[in-house]
Amino acid sequence: MPEQDNTSLTFKLVYYGPAQSGKTTNLLRLHDILSPELKGEVMIMETKDDRTLFFDLLPLGFRAPSGLLTKLRLFTVPGQVAHDGTRKAVLSRADGLVFVADSDRTQETNNGEAFQSMADNCHRVGLDFEHIPLVVQFNKRDLPNAVPEAEIRERWDAAPWPVRFATALSGNGVEATFEALLRALYRRHVDGLGLATDHRLTEDAFVAGVLGRTLEPQ
Amino acid sequence: MSTSDFDREWRLGELFDAAMLARIGPPLAELLGADLAILDRDGRALWGMPAPDATREALILELEPAGFLASAAARPPQLRSAARMFTALLRAEARYRMASALHLEAVTQDFETLKLEHSRLLASEARYRKLSEELEARVAAQVATLEARQQMLYQAEKLASVGQLAAGMAHEINNPLGFVSSNLGSFKLYLDKFAALHARLAEGEAAWQSLDLDFVIEDGAELLADCANGLARIGRIVADLKSFSNVDRPPTERANLNACLEHAVSVASSPLPPGVTLKTALHPLPLLACNPGHLNLVFLSLIKNGMQAVQDSGRPGEVSIRSEAAPDGITIRITDTGVGMSPAQQERAFEPFYTTRAIGAGTGLGLSTARNIVLAHRGRIVLDSTPGKGTTVSLFFPGTP
Repeated sequence: MPEQDNTSLTFKLVYYGPAQSGKTTNLLRLHDILSPELKGEVMIMETKDDRTLFFDLLPLGFRAPSGLLTKLRLFTVPGQVAHDGTRKAVLSRADGLVFVADSDRTQETNNGEAFQSMADNCHRVGLDFEHIPLVVQFNKRDLPNAVPEAEIRERWDAAPWPVRFATALSGNGVEATFEALLRALYRRHVDGLGLATDHRLTEDAFVAGVLGRTLEPQ
Repeated sequence: MSTSDFDREWRLGELFDAAMLARIGPPLAELLGADLAILDRDGRALWGMPAPDATREALILELEPAGFLASAAARPPQLRSAARMFTALLRAEARYRMASALHLEAVTQDFETLKLEHSRLLASEARYRKLSEELEARVAAQVATLEARQQMLYQAEKLASVGQLAAGMAHEINNPLGFVSSNLGSFKLYLDKFAALHARLAEGEAAWQSLDLDFVIEDGAELLADCANGLARIGRIVADLKSFSNVDRPPTERANLNACLEHAVSVASSPLPPGVTLKTALHPLPLLACNPGHLNLVFLSLIKNGMQAVQDSGRPGEVSIRSEAAPDGITIRITDTGVGMSPAQQERAFEPFYTTRAIGAGTGLGLSTARNIVLAHRGRIVLDSTPGKGTTVSLFFPGTP
């Protein structure tokens, strides 16, 4: 459950995926693109050969009409298989997930194994994998041997999660992925947290607040 | 969220304790060239004494102020720079603290996982131990059942043999009984003649002649001798039977297998089927610790098989029984010149209930039982057969030193 006190509400969102699928790049681009009321620096923990050893963290926030400070802390997990203990610790207490898959056809096995490890680790750290907001992003669409979009859509057709396509290096699809997660997150918690009733926060306002967009007048 | 979680909101006082603040505060104030206090996010002073009219500059770790620098005399740009510098220190410390807390959490989780695995292993080990105990009990029960069945089979075979034996014996005993009874009938007639003589004593020698009493005396003696022979035969059969069945012998004793073979031959050859000759070549044997009653049954069964094989061949033949002392035991061979067995038949010969005879003619337990008995004596039984030529059954009993 999100952290909540009288004045603030904090969601923990985790970018999960195989090694070097572009999780950190997603965070860096979001930091560039988004302009919410509150935006922290991307905290990049020690890296070794450009790989995340611990996690990266991007804090975002805005105030709801009720005055509630809504904070989102976006984490990435280390992708390498060896760091499973760290991945589990980062995954703990997550309120939403983005699975960043590598579109490279040679990475299909790695994608599958990482997805399975995400599901297993969710169960291990006590997350309800069946209901947690989750968006699947196929990144690196610019690769020449990327698996075609139609093929991916067909394969993921029966799955309950939204699928988005992105090229994180250029920023394409990064915001759309995040928006899909925000909408799933809002729907999951709108009733439990009284977002619409107590805080007068609609889904579009919630999304607009986090992304730093101006909400079209109704 | 517990206080050990790496992703909790870190407080200024937690990142920099009083000692650390006491080291950072003075040089920072000196650089600033003014009064300075460090406050937590609620405005409480952690280091220094803030003047009531002090200006505050926020120290933002992520989104919100984690604390403030407060100074009354510092110029705003300088105070902002001091705050930026302090924030950089704060963030570096936070990064370090988060990384080490995460590391600790990961290690703890791995340890928890190990402990869980360990307890699962213990549980599964306990399950397997219980299972293995159950298995042992089940195996023991099965073995007991098998032994009981084996015993029943053995009893059935014994009953069948006894039945066959009884039929043979009945025939054997009936023969002498028949002529003894007929002789006694004749003898009663002879006694009638002596009774008649009593009435004709006056006639003297003429009566003796007329009643042909010379012949009566001569023939009567012969009749009695025949009867005695017949009874002796019956006596011998009964003695054979008794020794064969071992009614009054202990189960295991030191016995001469030649005696067993002789008994078996004697029982098997009464009556000897037409066209079958029995030959024995029994060489001196050491005594063998055995159950003679059971071995008798084996030998009789094998000899009868041999005789049956000769009869089945449709031509005259012989069954020869040979015993011999070997360096490490006793060898017995029972060879017939009968029909022989095909390889397929040989392969199945020792299976219980396998029989080539018509239904009702054989139980199919003969060789199976024989083998069980031989094995019980730590012996070996081997079949060597050529279809159309005959069969040799070799038995070997290891000597008991």
